[in-house]
Amino acid sequence: MKITINQIPCECERGESILQIARRNGIEIPTLCWHDGFPGQGACRLCIVEVIEGGRAKIVVSCVYPVERECEVLTESEKVRRQRGMILALLRKKAPDSPEIQALCERYHAPEIERFLPETGSRCVMCGLCVKACGELSVGAIATVNRGVEKEIATPYHEPSSACVGCGSCAYVCPAGAIPVQEMEDVRIIWGKTFSLVHCQDCGRVIGTAEELAAAAKKSGQEPDTLCADCRKKMIALSFRHTYGEIHR
Amino acid sequence: MKTIRICCGTGCLANGSLLVAEEFEKKISQASVDAAVECVAKRTGCHGLCEDGPIVTIMPDNICYYHVRPKDVDEILEKTIANDTPVERLLYQNEQGVKIMSQRENPFYAHQTKIALRNVGTISPDSLEDYLAADGYKALKKALTMSPEEILTEMERSGLRGRGGAGFPTGRKWRTAAGYDVFPKYVVCNGDEGDPGAFMDGSILEGDPHSVLEGMAICALAIGAEEGFLYIRDEYVHARRSIKEAIRQAEAAGILGDNIMGSGKKLHLSIVRGGGAFVCGESTALMASIEGRVGEPRAKYIRSVQKGLWDHPTVLNNVETLANVPYIILHGGASYAAVGTGGSKGTKVFAMVGKVKRTGLVEVPMGATLRELIFDIGGGIRNGRPFKAVQTGGPSGGCIPESMLDLPVDFDTLKKYGAMMGSGGMIVMDDRSCMVEVARYYVQFLCGESCGKCTPCREGLKQMLAILTDICEGRGRIEDLDLLEALGETMQEASLCALGKSAPNPVLTTLKYFRGEYEAHILEHRCPAGVCTKLTSFAIDPDKCRGCTACARACPVNAVAGTARHPHAIDAALCIRCGSCREACRFDAVYTEGRDLS
Repeated sequence: MKITINQIPCECERGESILQIARRNGIEIPTLCWHDGFPGQGACRLCIVEVIEGGRAKIVVSCVYPVERECEVLTESEKVRRQRGMILALLRKKAPDSPEIQALCERYHAPEIERFLPETGSRCVMCGLCVKACGELSVGAIATVNRGVEKEIATPYHEPSSACVGCGSCAYVCPAGAIPVQEMEDVRIIWGKTFSLVHCQDCGRVIGTAEELAAAAKKSGQEPDTLCADCRKKMIALSFRHTYGEIHR
Repeated sequence: MKTIRICCGTGCLANGSLLVAEEFEKKISQASVDAAVECVAKRTGCHGLCEDGPIVTIMPDNICYYHVRPKDVDEILEKTIANDTPVERLLYQNEQGVKIMSQRENPFYAHQTKIALRNVGTISPDSLEDYLAADGYKALKKALTMSPEEILTEMERSGLRGRGGAGFPTGRKWRTAAGYDVFPKYVVCNGDEGDPGAFMDGSILEGDPHSVLEGMAICALAIGAEEGFLYIRDEYVHARRSIKEAIRQAEAAGILGDNIMGSGKKLHLSIVRGGGAFVCGESTALMASIEGRVGEPRAKYIRSVQKGLWDHPTVLNNVETLANVPYIILHGGASYAAVGTGGSKGTKVFAMVGKVKRTGLVEVPMGATLRELIFDIGGGIRNGRPFKAVQTGGPSGGCIPESMLDLPVDFDTLKKYGAMMGSGGMIVMDDRSCMVEVARYYVQFLCGESCGKCTPCREGLKQMLAILTDICEGRGRIEDLDLLEALGETMQEASLCALGKSAPNPVLTTLKYFRGEYEAHILEHRCPAGVCTKLTSFAIDPDKCRGCTACARACPVNAVAGTARHPHAIDAALCIRCGSCREACRFDAVYTEGRDLS
């Protein structure tokens, strides 16, 4: 079926989210809680768009709104800009220490509302991606704690989690740079826990924490990695060359 | 055979009705009553007029007693039970000073029509026999002879809409769920009543548990479900106990369980105890909670009737909605639809509290006006003070001013004015309620009760609370009012669930109807109602004060000085501005004025 986004006709499947369709067609919609690995949480509300269906306009959240019939989508209508601006203005104060969030606010011309109280020293926008990533990797070391305005993301009782394997996926998906990871020569410190790092046997590059590699090995049923991704490719290539000989053009 | 009904609803229990019930039971078992008169004491659910509890009704004489104490029991047994004469001093006295015998003649009850509450207060909730004697489970028996299509048609004909507040047509909800060929399906009862001041659902669960179970069973037959859950909030200990016992009795009697009334159909019901989160009254958060996940709502673009519990078709109905179902099936949808207004059929139960004279649980036809509710049934405002506003629909609702008292209360009318009927909580306020403080209170409540998942609700409430607190404490700016409105619009438009979308309603309605009060706080640093302590000082008018010492005795910090029969004075340095003196004064001598903030 077909919908239009900002007057641009876009092919799509029934049930696809508007955000997916827009992305595929190179139309930008800002998001914080969307990651290709974990789509559709509907938490940050930045991806709101205006949908006109059967002559009626409404504001919907594009990451979870399934297209069921032909409609017209506006990602930059006056109403969308105004509401998105207010949401960004709120996030600006929620994460005043996050350069990523401040840059996003500039990019979308979010108003600076002096009256709003900033949360000092905060970078987190509570998008929930870190919790999602940790959960999907079946680690589950962090979760949302409390509710309402007190809600935060933490390990159980704010203590170093026995479940955490130090993989850093949470920090990797965080759009606001809110999860501090300290990485030294041989150790990585994350969520208050220190992990020793394993280096590639060939090139010496860091390939992960011992716990992370063990967890991955357990899941895949293979021996833990000892090589980095590049060196492993190299090794496989060498064995190919040994078997099939040099390829001459 | 005489029946003594002793109200054991939460309000009367708190007033000591259990002691009264025990006294009756003891005295009856001791056969201290004339042996010629057989009588039985029955503990029932809420009688409604909580204000005047504990309430005792004697049937079939139809005599209703109020404020009954254990010491009154002997006299009731001797006079009313043995000799058919009323105990005058325990009767209701109306405004003309006339003593009233029956409940029906009491102005509190005279304007009511009871459908959902038909058995609440008249039967013993612990007794299946009582429920059966009151036509209980006849509707289920009838439904077993009907096809699902016939049940759905009857429900649609009734025009019943969801009593939890959203007002979605119940019949249509059931039909959609019935249309999916995905099994198992589930039926869920939402008993997570969390609005401050609301106790409609709790009273039904406590007072007439079988009616809710019967409603769920009929729904299960219509949609093809064999399993159901009753999600009951943590605080409702009595309701859970009552429902648990009712399920046990119904299963033992073959009414529920593996073989419903011998039909071969199944329905297993279980209770899920809420964890104390207000947001879990939202249907998708409630389902997440039943599944054992964090109680956070999800986007409802795909409805629960299609993908609800464990992604299976699920019908979720509120307690009051379900309690109406047996009546509809038994008496026909048309007879139910004969009550109410064009768009809102039937009756609605309200929990009327606050500064109204007669607080309690009431049920009226849809379309009754607020004035009828507050003045005819509730008897108007306490202590002869003027009416100021009524807050309907809990934290999602709005504050309605006097000019709108003649509006009919139904699903659609109040919405047009920015408020909503909601689930039936109704808090009446007089001129000593500060509307800014009321808005601040609700926003603070929601700050703790929002799930915190989406940005507009979580961050918006946080900033709203900061601004409202500033206004209440004299730090407000006039531009704040526009900002509150803009913020409110974003929360309404962009929040994830109904909690966030309706969270700004108390702020927006008070801004709309009581803007002057906000301006007085901001521009004059004055709280007209004399509630906001930072902006208020209390003083005694020496011309009005009679020196009765009531205020001095009420003051918790001994800030009122003066000798009896001479005007008193308040020591501003000691005063904590709690307002106890003003409440205590019968001569209106205590007044408030602004405070020098510097």
